[in-house]
This record gives sequence, C-alpha cells and structure tokens, in this order.
Amino acid sequence: MAELELKPVGTRILTDKDNIVDMIEKYAKEDIGPDDVVSVAESVVAITQGRVARPEDFKVCFLAKILCRFVPQKGSLSSVYGMQSLMDAEGKWRVLFAMIIGMFAKIVGKNGVFYELAGSHAALVDDVTGTMPPFDKCLVYGPLEANRVAEEIKRRLGCYGAAVADVNDLKRALVVGASTGLDPKKLAHILIDNPFGNASQRTPIVIIKNYAAVERRTENLLSME
Amino acid sequence: MEILVTIVIVAIIMAVAVWLFIAKQGDADFEFMVNERTEFIVIAETEKTATFSCEVAFVNKGSQDGTIMDAFPRHLLPYEQFDEVEVNSRMELATALRTDNYFEAVIIPKGTGGTVIVTVTFTAKTGNIKDALQNLYDLSVDMPIDIVYQIVARTPWYIHKARMIMTCDEINRAMQAKGTAKRED
Repeated sequence: MAELELKPVGTRILTDKDNIVDMIEKYAKEDIGPDDVVSVAESVVAITQGRVARPEDFKVCFLAKILCRFVPQKGSLSSVYGMQSLMDAEGKWRVLFAMIIGMFAKIVGKNGVFYELAGSHAALVDDVTGTMPPFDKCLVYGPLEANRVAEEIKRRLGCYGAAVADVNDLKRALVVGASTGLDPKKLAHILIDNPFGNASQRTPIVIIKNYAAVERRTENLLSME
Repeated sequence: MEILVTIVIVAIIMAVAVWLFIAKQGDADFEFMVNERTEFIVIAETEKTATFSCEVAFVNKGSQDGTIMDAFPRHLLPYEQFDEVEVNSRMELATALRTDNYFEAVIIPKGTGGTVIVTVTFTAKTGNIKDALQNLYDLSVDMPIDIVYQIVARTPWYIHKARMIMTCDEINRAMQAKGTAKRED
C-alpha cells in the first residue's frame, strides 16, 4: 500500500541564471510520478527570479530606521534593510498603518495583525544570513507569481500537483503558492518538519511521494463510513 | 488653537517616547580583541612557503543581536619595506572552518562572541622561505594586519577595522619553535 514519503532532492546552488522549472526537471524528473506533489523552497524560487538585494543597495528612509526597532530582533524585519525592503515592496504608509494597528492589537492580546496588514512580503522576506552562500549577504524577497510557478511545474513534470513553500526549523510552514486542487494547509502540515533541511538551497526540492494515492484511499475510507 | 497645541504636544511626547525607547534598546557593539589574540604559530611549511595562524576572539558587547556580514584580514607589507615575500591572508570562524576565504554572514546574539582564525602565508619570491623570513627578522620588519569587518544590526551597516601587528620577533619565534629558523646568538 502506497504511503506518503518525503524525498528531498539536492541540486547545485541555483542563481538568477537558472529557471526553477528547468532545474526541477533536470534534478528530479526521474523521481517524480503521477501521484506525487513537487514542493520547492520559496527562497530558491525567489533567487531564480532575481529577487535578491544587497543591504548596500538600499536607500534607507527615516521611518524604516524607527519601525524596525519595534520588531523583535529574531525577525527579518528587525533590521533596517528588512524593514526598508518591506516598505519598498508594500509602501511605507501601509507598513506604518499596519505597525500602529498591530501594536494596538497586541495590547489587547491579538498577535500577528501587523503581518496580516503589512502585505504578503512581510512574512516572506529573508534578512541577511537567511540563505546559504553566496546569498547569505543579501536579503531575499518572496517569490513572484508562486501559483503560476506551481502550475508550470505540474504541467511540465506531469505530477499530481506542485507547491512553493516557506518552511523553517521553528515548525513554521506556509504554502505560498500551489497548483489548483491542492489544499495549502494540508501541504503545510505535511512539510512542517522542514524536509528541505537547514540549508534549503542544497535541497530546494522535496517530492511528496504518493500524495494522490493516499488522498484517494482516505476519500474511499471516508465514503465507506 | 487649543486643538493644534494639543496635537503638537502629543506629537512631541510621542517623539520623545520613541527616542527614549530606541536609546534604551541600544544596538549591537562588536569588538575584535586583537590585544588578546594568541601568538602566531607555524602550521605548514615548504621550502618556498611558511603558513602561520593565530586565533582572535570577538564579542558582541552590545544590547542587541548583530550580524557580521563579512570579515577579512588586510595585511600590509609594501614592497618598499620588504620585497622578498608575497603574502596571502585569510580568516575563518573557528566554528565554521573553510579554506575559500569566504566569510559566511553570521548572527551573533548579544553578550556572546566567537573566535576567528587568521591564517597568513608567506611565499619566498626567490630562494627559500627560511632565508627570506630571516632577512625580515634582521631588518626588523613588523607587518600590520587589519581585521576588517562589516556589521549590520538595528542601524545601517558599517565597516570597522581592528589592527594587530604580526611582529618579526613573533615570526622568528614561531619558526624557531618549528626548528627552522636561525637562532639568535
């Protein structure tokens, strides 16, 4: 009986000279079957899209210098460059508004409001050290058109589905984009133990083997009940 | 008019509160303790080359976590001063050894630190390295090495330098310990 299996696939370090779908085809095609879901690390998708910036290239505004001070220091937005990158992507007044509302929300015990209001980039930006060399000295933005990338992977590889995921060792998994028919929350749950590993640039692809078979079996069991 | 004055007063109070918050929060503050470094020792030697290394501790004595984005040694031995050797130097974290002279950016939590290993290789331009370094000693040539490090924390990135001196006495002592230098009379 087919069981879910997570199979990480190693690649060389990918850069903006690479096409992520071409690379998945090159390194993982032979391991991918019609019942499988291909997941790929969002930071690597972003890197292949050239969504990388050096701190030295930012023009930091006064507001970024102030607002970063109110983010706990483990977060990517706690540096002036993380905050500035968010302001560049989402607009500084939106970020200010989100910060003020987020602070009031926190006072009444509701966490995460800032990240809900500040735009999708807020949760996806990786500050320096967030990725492996040679990108460890850069900020990496979230990927563009993650759903479209997932659809393209599915179409090219003939798999059951594909997803772009942001997973870390702190038991945080977020599916940023997925092909149609996949449940992002279910995928996030499957990936929660970070099968990409610490150095997700080395193994940026994880094949979720037998996903469709297991899903069909579960549905059959439910329908029998 | 009263409303305007009230708004201005509230704005001033808020600005002062934010300024006090930031001042109290502080920032990372790195120090490479070059004065407490270990003595250079010879770690490899051939007829033409001699490689030395030492360890330098660093600490983030600030109140915030900070990131060392890049760090490298800059040796200063101009040919006008001594023209018998070529010098190469590199630096790596003691906890993340690598030989490619690439310094991987690392977060250093507040109140903690680490150690870097500075490696210096002398290559004799002509003849052997033993004679070249003996001449360096005879001419009493010391070589400054700047540890150049780029920091990013709560404030924008900056570059600092910490200077240490690799003295000819130290080089001679290391070569003697290795048994390859001429002893002083």
